[in-house]
Amino acid sequence: MHLPRLSRPSRPRPSRRPRLALAGAALAALTLAACGNPADSATDEGGDDDREVTHARGEATVPADPQRVVVLEPVQLDTAVALGMTPVGAAVLNEAAGVPAYLGDDADDVQTVGTVTEPDVDKIAALRPDLIIGTETRHSALYDQLSDVAPTVYMASQSDPWQDNVRFTAAALGDPEGADELLEGYQERCDEIAAEFDTEGRTAQLVRPRDGLVTLYGPTSFAGATLECAGFTTPERPEFAEEISVDLSPERVLEAQADLVLVTTTDVEDESTIPPSITANAASFPELHLVDQSFWITGVGPLGGQTVLDDLERILSGS
Amino acid sequence: MTLRPSPVALLVLAVPAALALSVLVGSNPVPPGDVWAALTGGGDATARFVVADQRLPRTVAGVVVGLALGVSGALMQAYTRNPFADPGLFGVSAGASFAVAVAVAYAGVTAPAAYVWWAVGGALLASLVVVALGRPTDPRVPPTRLVLTGVAVGAVLAGLTTGISLSDPDAFERMLTWHAGSLIDRGYAVTLAVAPLLVLGALAAAATAPSLNAIALGRDVAQAQGVDLRRSDLLALAAITLLAAGAAAVAGPVAFVGLVVPHVVRWCVGVDQRRILGVSAVAGVVLVLVADVVGRVAVLPGEMPAGIVTAFIGAPVLVLLARRSRATGL
Repeated sequence: MHLPRLSRPSRPRPSRRPRLALAGAALAALTLAACGNPADSATDEGGDDDREVTHARGEATVPADPQRVVVLEPVQLDTAVALGMTPVGAAVLNEAAGVPAYLGDDADDVQTVGTVTEPDVDKIAALRPDLIIGTETRHSALYDQLSDVAPTVYMASQSDPWQDNVRFTAAALGDPEGADELLEGYQERCDEIAAEFDTEGRTAQLVRPRDGLVTLYGPTSFAGATLECAGFTTPERPEFAEEISVDLSPERVLEAQADLVLVTTTDVEDESTIPPSITANAASFPELHLVDQSFWITGVGPLGGQTVLDDLERILSGS
Repeated sequence: MTLRPSPVALLVLAVPAALALSVLVGSNPVPPGDVWAALTGGGDATARFVVADQRLPRTVAGVVVGLALGVSGALMQAYTRNPFADPGLFGVSAGASFAVAVAVAYAGVTAPAAYVWWAVGGALLASLVVVALGRPTDPRVPPTRLVLTGVAVGAVLAGLTTGISLSDPDAFERMLTWHAGSLIDRGYAVTLAVAPLLVLGALAAAATAPSLNAIALGRDVAQAQGVDLRRSDLLALAAITLLAAGAAAVAGPVAFVGLVVPHVVRWCVGVDQRRILGVSAVAGVVLVLVADVVGRVAVLPGEMPAGIVTAFIGAPVLVLLARRSRATGL
């Protein structure tokens, strides 16, 4: 039982070594002369092509400029696409829907490799990735298997502040400055909307219907943070001190009231997706809009954030 | 023995108590005076919403689900002569769950009110398949093959449901409460939609009830006593399927009610199947209503699905009863 396991990590190498050696020989003169970094090239086969990434599992050696990246978390996919480093494969929230449409044409060619909660290691291996990015809290048990396929780095937790996860992903991809640019762009867009619509002092509440219950998202959630970034305040609740969201009985639906109430749905045109408990109290929800959950809830990342802000601007200019 | 208060009398008192609790108690506290005002058409808008839009419709749904589960459970245990049979045995709950999973994953259905037709269709289809595959050719043979077929079909459907939910975990997170069995946000429209099924099921149950005592003695004995086994089987199957499908369509698969209620009732009222059937109906209502009320206040400001509460109450009761072997025999 141990023998095949021991031999597995070395399997991809025999095919890569000759290529690496050739490429190394060909590039040696160029790179050594150009970059002047002989210390690195002396260490091992990777040479200039490698760098170290500190992640949830310690240190990992990854390619300096990864070409075939597989990501296992929506925020990583969003960040990679935003940086122009479209992955070859991504685990998705919903296999039937595939890669989220809001990511645009760039993401059309991304192959799905199972769901975020159950990535498919065989599909990942078939894509011959040179870097895999996952999440310790979700994919902990898969680390050894994935490391056999390609260098693998883990983000600590999907519940950490999303901007930190954007920075981690960009650093893993070798473009830490890219993250700063994206996040600055997001902040600027927030400020623009706040100034244009004078959102200061107004409250906004994102509501997600959940099988009869209504879930309110708080200021630490992705959508809640984006609303606050655009100048709105989330109505205070004691639960938000510790939780990103709170489930409400339909009997307490009036606690979801705010100056702007956004209800998530899969079809913004279909008013019947507004929960009956809210429809019954229509007078208490004068400013209510249906919004697309594919980015308001699951579009965590700089592109999703921009999409949410565009949608928010559309809603605010319409009302 | 005559001094002991009759369990049936206690149960009859429990019904109005459970109804009152279901209208008075909820996750948004409304003083009893305001509840009364709302019931009589007055009171403030919030109280009227909570009482008239939330608690009354789900109380009606709870009564219907409790009746259907109590009766179909009692019928199932009598028909299969198995004291631990559950009305879901013929694939009804699994069929309903599977159809709702398909609706959520592929048809974009999101609200419990819209699940109802899918659940009814899935439940009826699954039980038709089970009956077609497993119906005994000789009516004197006990329906063991039917039960095994039901378990097998149920297992296949449960596997498929899990497969679908794994492909879209996000959508399934939203319907977790349905899968646990719940009365949250069940308007009159949901209950009304399945009312015809339940009326037909109740009629079939009433028609088959007189033959159940003879069948309980053994199918050969029943036939010797002049019971038309084919007719009786057909009615029992129709009643179990229609009632369990109706209950699953309204509330989702509520656990343990159809299993524990007739079991406890048999222990209280003796061996007359007609009495067991009637008392199970009433006890089912009480259990479902009380479980729903407990669920409303268990995890404020949210709610716990009634099906989780019935499992919490039902499982220990079942273990206790199973240990009293004298009471569990049929």
